Order: sequence, then C-alpha cells, then structure tokens
Amino acid sequence: MLKNELYFLSILSLTILGLLVVLLMYLSIRKAIDINNRKKIERYIEKYQLILFTMLTEGGYSRGLSPESILEQKAIEELLSRYSKILEGEDEKKRLSDLASLYLIDYYRKRLKSKRWSQRMNTLYHIEDFKLNLLIEDIFMLTKKKRLSREELIHTLRILALFQYENMFEMLTTEYNSLSEYEYRNILGRLVQQQFEQFIFHFHKSSPSLQKAILDVISLKRELNYLPFLENIFSAYKGEIRLRALKALSEIGYVKNTEPYLQLLYSTKWEERMVAAKLIGSLKEVKGISRLIELLHDQTWWVRSQAGQAISQFPNGHQILQEVYETSKDVFAKDMAWEWLHKGV
Amino acid sequence: MGMASQRGIAMMIFAWGNIVSVFGWFIAIYMVIVISFYSVILVISFFQLRKEYQLDRVQAYEDYSDEFYTKPVSIIVPAYNEEAGIIQSVRSLLSVNYPKFEVIVVNDGSTDFTLEKVIEHYDMKEIKKVVRKQVETKPIGRIYQSNILANLFLIDKENGGKADALNVGLNFSHYPYFCSLDGDSVLEQDAFLKVMKPIIDSNEEVIASGGSVRIANGCQIKNGHIQKIALSNKPLVVMQIIEYLRAFLMGRIGLSRHNLLLIISGAFGVFSKHWVILAGGYKTDTVGEDMELVVRIHRLLKEKGIKKKIVYVPDPVCWTEVPEDLTFLRRQRRRWHRGLFESLWTHRKITFNPKYGSIGFISFPYFWIVEFFGPIIEFLGYLFMILCLFLGGIYVEFAILLFLLSCLYGSIFSMTAVLLEEWSLTKYPRVSDIIKLFLYSLTETIWYRPMTVYWRCEGIWQMIIGDRSWGEMKRKGVSE
Repeated sequence: MLKNELYFLSILSLTILGLLVVLLMYLSIRKAIDINNRKKIERYIEKYQLILFTMLTEGGYSRGLSPESILEQKAIEELLSRYSKILEGEDEKKRLSDLASLYLIDYYRKRLKSKRWSQRMNTLYHIEDFKLNLLIEDIFMLTKKKRLSREELIHTLRILALFQYENMFEMLTTEYNSLSEYEYRNILGRLVQQQFEQFIFHFHKSSPSLQKAILDVISLKRELNYLPFLENIFSAYKGEIRLRALKALSEIGYVKNTEPYLQLLYSTKWEERMVAAKLIGSLKEVKGISRLIELLHDQTWWVRSQAGQAISQFPNGHQILQEVYETSKDVFAKDMAWEWLHKGV
Repeated sequence: MGMASQRGIAMMIFAWGNIVSVFGWFIAIYMVIVISFYSVILVISFFQLRKEYQLDRVQAYEDYSDEFYTKPVSIIVPAYNEEAGIIQSVRSLLSVNYPKFEVIVVNDGSTDFTLEKVIEHYDMKEIKKVVRKQVETKPIGRIYQSNILANLFLIDKENGGKADALNVGLNFSHYPYFCSLDGDSVLEQDAFLKVMKPIIDSNEEVIASGGSVRIANGCQIKNGHIQKIALSNKPLVVMQIIEYLRAFLMGRIGLSRHNLLLIISGAFGVFSKHWVILAGGYKTDTVGEDMELVVRIHRLLKEKGIKKKIVYVPDPVCWTEVPEDLTFLRRQRRRWHRGLFESLWTHRKITFNPKYGSIGFISFPYFWIVEFFGPIIEFLGYLFMILCLFLGGIYVEFAILLFLLSCLYGSIFSMTAVLLEEWSLTKYPRVSDIIKLFLYSLTETIWYRPMTVYWRCEGIWQMIIGDRSWGEMKRKGVSE
C-alpha cells in the first residue's frame, strides 16, 4: 500500500543525505585550504612586518618587498590596515597611502568588480582606510552601476566625500536626495569647509533629514564662523530643526545676544526648555542662573537633569546646588541637585 | 460464539485499523507541513547568510564606535545568588567596545554574598537617588555607584524574580536603549556595535534587536573574554550546539526578514526603553518574560498601527553556558516549554486575528502548531512507530515512513544548519569540528530529539497538574 511513498521518501532522504555529504566534503576541503592559506599569510606578515614598518616611518622603498601572489597582497593589506589604526603623523599617513597605492591598487580595481557583495564591501572599507585617492573615478563609476546595494551606495558616497569629489553637492541634492539623516551626517562629516558651505547656502531648500544632518555636523565641528547661520536658523525655524540649531549653539558655547535664549527657558515645550538650559550652561550666562534653579523643580525629568548639569558648569555651581540640596522642599529638585553634586566623583 | 459477536469483533478490528491509519496519516501530513515550512525559512536564511560571507566585520562596525553616531545603552544585569560569577561578568561587560554605556547590577535579594562581593570589588558607595517609577516593582533598597567607575551602579532590592529585577533596572537606567544580560554570559567585544547597527542604520525604525547566542561550554574563557573557540567533548553539549545553530541560523534569520520575530533570546538583545515602558515592562508572573515582552511589543505596534521593526543579527554576539547533565537540561526544557505556553496563552487573541496581520497568521500559528503542539504530536508519533512494529504487516511500512519523515525533520535540517554555519560564518577553527558536528547531527533523530520531545511533553503535563516549581540552573562558571 505504501510502496510508492516509501520508495519516494527513501530516495529523497538518501539524495539529500548524499548532497549534504558532498557539501560537507567540499566545505572541509575549503576549510583545510583556508587554514593553510591563513598560515601562509601569517608567515608573510611576519616576513614583511619590519620592512613595511621601516618604509612607513623612514620613507623610501625596499626591493625586498614585491608581492606577487594574492596571499602576499592580503598580508600587506592586513599589515597596512593595522598600521593605519595606530599611525598618527601626517607624513606616515601619506606614506601609508602611497604604499597601498603602489602594492594594492590593481588588486582593488579587480575586487571592486567582484561578484560577491562582501568582497566589494571589504574593498570599499580598505580604500577608505588607506585613502586611495587614485581610485576616485572607479569609485564614482560604482554609483552608476545597476543593482547597487544600499550599503555600497552609502559607502561609495562616503568615500567620494572623503576624497572631496567635486560634484558631491549636486549628487546629494538631486540624485540622492532621500537618504536618512544618519547617512547624510556620515557623508557630510567628511567634507572640507569649502564643500560643506555649499550645503549651508542651500539649507532652506534641503529636505528635513539633510537639514538635521547639516546642523549636527556643525555641532560636531564647533566652528565659530557658523554662528550667524545658526542664530539665523534658530529664529527662522520651528520644532526639531530649531532644537538642533540650539544644540549646535550650545556645543559652540557662544552667542552674540543671550536675551532670546533666556526667554526660551520659559518655553511651554519641555524639549525647548531642556536645550535652552543646556545652552545657558555652556554659555555660563549668569542672568540665567535664577531660572535654572527654578528649572530644577521642572515637572520633566530631562529638564531637571539638564538644569542640574547647566548649573554645575558655572564656577559657583557646586555652591548653588549645595544650597538647593539643603534648602529645597521638593524631593525631585533635591535629588537632582545631589546627583549633579556627586557626578563623576 | 454466535455469528453476531464474531461480526462484532471483525468490525472492531476494522474500526481499530481505521483509527490507526487515520492517526498515522495525520502525523505524516503534519510532518510534511512542518518540513515544508522549515524549508522555506531555510532558503531565506541561506541567501541572507551568503551575502555576508567573509565580510570584514571589524571594519563594518568601526564607524559605530564613534560616540557621535551611537546611542548610549544601559546594560542591566539581574543577579540572584551569583557570587561565583558576578565579578567576572561585570568585568567582561565593562571592557565592552562601545562608546557610551552604563552597567546596572540589580541584586534580586540574594541570600549569598553577591551584594558584598560587588561592593567590595568595585568600591561601591551609596548614593541617594529618586528612581522614576515607570513600571511597578517590588521596593528597592540602597543604590550604589562605583568610586572607580562612574558608569557602574548596583541596586539592592527585595527578591521578586528576574523580570522584577529587570524592571527595577529599567526604572533606574539613564539611557534610551537597554540590554538585559544573564549573569553568566560572556559578550563578544563588539556585541553592542553589532546589535545597535540595525537600530542606528534604520534611523530608529528598528526598536529591538537580538544577536545569535552560542554555547560557551568547551571554549577557553579568561577574564570574561573568549580566548579560543572549541567544541566540548560531551555529546549532550554538542547536541545543544547543533540545536542552537539550527534555531539561530535557520529559524530566526528567516523570520527576521519579515518582521515575524517573536523571540529575542533571553540571553542577549537590545530594546528601545521607550517602547518597552510603553508596553508596560517585563511581566513578572511568567517564566518566559523575554518572549512575552516581544509579543507584547508586537501587539502594541499592530494595535497602534506603527511601522517599527524587531530584527535579528546572525553574528554570534554572546556566549552562554548550557546544562551539561540530563537533570538540568530536562528542567530547562520543561521550563522553556511552559514559558512558551504562557506567552502564547496570554496573547491568544492574536492567533488568526486579521488585525495583527502576518504575526497573527504566520508567527502565532507557527509557534502554536510547530513549537507548542509539535512535541505532543511527535511524541505520539514515536509511540505510534513502536506500536506499528508490534502490529506488523503494512504497519511496519508505515513505521518506516514515519521514521524517514522524522529523519528529514530532525537530522537533515540539523545537518544543513551545521553546513550553513561553516559555509557562511565559519566560527569553528578546525576541520574536525565541522565533521564532528555533522556526524552528531546525523544521530539526532535516534536519541536527542525524542528525549527533548519527551521533556517538553513533561512540561505540558506539569502545567496541567499545576506543578509550579522550577529548578534554578546550577552554574559552574564559564570563566577561568
């Protein structure tokens, strides 16, 4: 009765089992080869370590180093990658980039066209680490590729930004105008001032996520010359954008006229009170102290906490907090004062 | 004997035979359905894993270690009588590679010296703080902060179970994301970078993210770091390794692709605090608080019509100790099964409810049919096979049919999972490891699977007779 089913199932099980065994054999052999290759790479690394290090620190080239096999190139790649994380000096960094161009550029050109996504990604990481400027056109061509994955696209744009590719502005405002805030931030952070300023001029026409990214990058750069721009944004915008501008101002820690910001400490929105407190703290504006003490009693925890931090930034901050702690009847204010008195003990 | 009674017996034999074959077919069809389901998930996982083969992960995560881009995380460590391993665990956590985090140890009314050990070792000083009560918990006692490390806190509280301890940590935590960690797990250095990546990349559309958990038994661990990955010599541990590989590599990746994930492993996952608090924190009266929370968050999202995701990262991020002997493994499995039931039962409304979309029509039915009722059906299947052997005749063929199906169901999928690991992640260092894992998984159908199936049925039985006890796992400590 079940002859057919049994027959079918047995064949199926055996076939699958057979396939799996073949796969196991393949994977075992592959693993053995990989382990072996790894050993060879380690040996190359040991052999080239010193030569490469001398070349990096003292300049010049050595004839002792002429990688031909892929494994040798991999060894050099790994060594350079290690050094790129520890070298500090500008000369050394330049030499590292030159050496990488010398030994690895053809290898990378090929690998950028690899069929495997992970290989292409790894190559992009290294090109970025070694700052292989020479590959800028190849990288740009990648963006034109059909079926480019999101990760590749973002990384490609990052590298182009790092190399100060001249059309960055056009690319990001027209073709790639729907990136996320995080992605924009990642890209913009790599641009030099001149390139970055194009985005500032274009601010009002940008998408909200690009706007937020621009403001965040400014708060990271903390450069005084963006001050007029930030104050302008603060007065012209509302909501999240306005808050980001405020945050950037508090990072810079300077404004021309503190009046509007002192006003903001009375805002009905807690987010605004919070960021305003942050700003007043970093400005160390004495006129704000009395209101900051009031904000220690605010109903929102975030505002209280920020007010506490702001007060602790003043020269006599500890004294003020101590007073609040000793005299206040509000447990929350007391608690917050205590917390900031004991922060970072 | 009269004609009538003879006919009666004939009828009975006929009816009996009918029942037997109907039942047999029921089991067979059930298995075929489950096998097809697994196959679909396998295919999805396969492509996902293949994509990342040989990706340089250190590089991929490098950017995220820049403070400006990352979100700070609170690590909550509930500790109940963990004096043996607590210092090691905390040390491993403190050395994690992440720009901004705090460690909150919650001493859940331990009766041993857990509290004293931490206080002494890290020079903890009492601090006064009002903790915002966003989730109800048992009363808390003193709060301490380390004098050496400003980001290490210790909270002493009345005993209230793991979920309650987690809620206390949740109330106290300062940062927008948190992670819960079992006392005796070891994290990979880049664990947080790995699990936070999807959250940051998605611009916080992902609100919870979990990583693979691997088994630490057999590995060399020193000072809370994995020194060398190796296979244990104990068959029971090897089988659990295979089981974990199968669950994590095959099941979860496939489910994660479609936002169907119902489990962030209790051992390692990061959640957005905002959403967890909105959902009401951990539930204290269940043994499966981790799964229950994820289900509740899914439910909340669907009910509010919000598009947020819960994802899973295939990379191993956390190494945990598993039971090495039958007694403890048996207790663990019984407990797990009960936890599963409690979560499903609390939220039974979701099952086949159009309001909950794919969660209601795929995830829940899957957990009910395959995960919960599966063991009962399999168990009956094993009994049936034995019965068929005694009945003889065509029933023997039937028994063979079922056996072949269960081989497909058990061993073959496990073997595939082992190969999938070697094909994509290649974590085990030696060729012999892979061959060993492969051969062990071949034997799964014969001993390990029936054993765990039996234990899970025991779990159901305990539930029916109302046995509420569950044993704590005995830990020998993974670290040297």
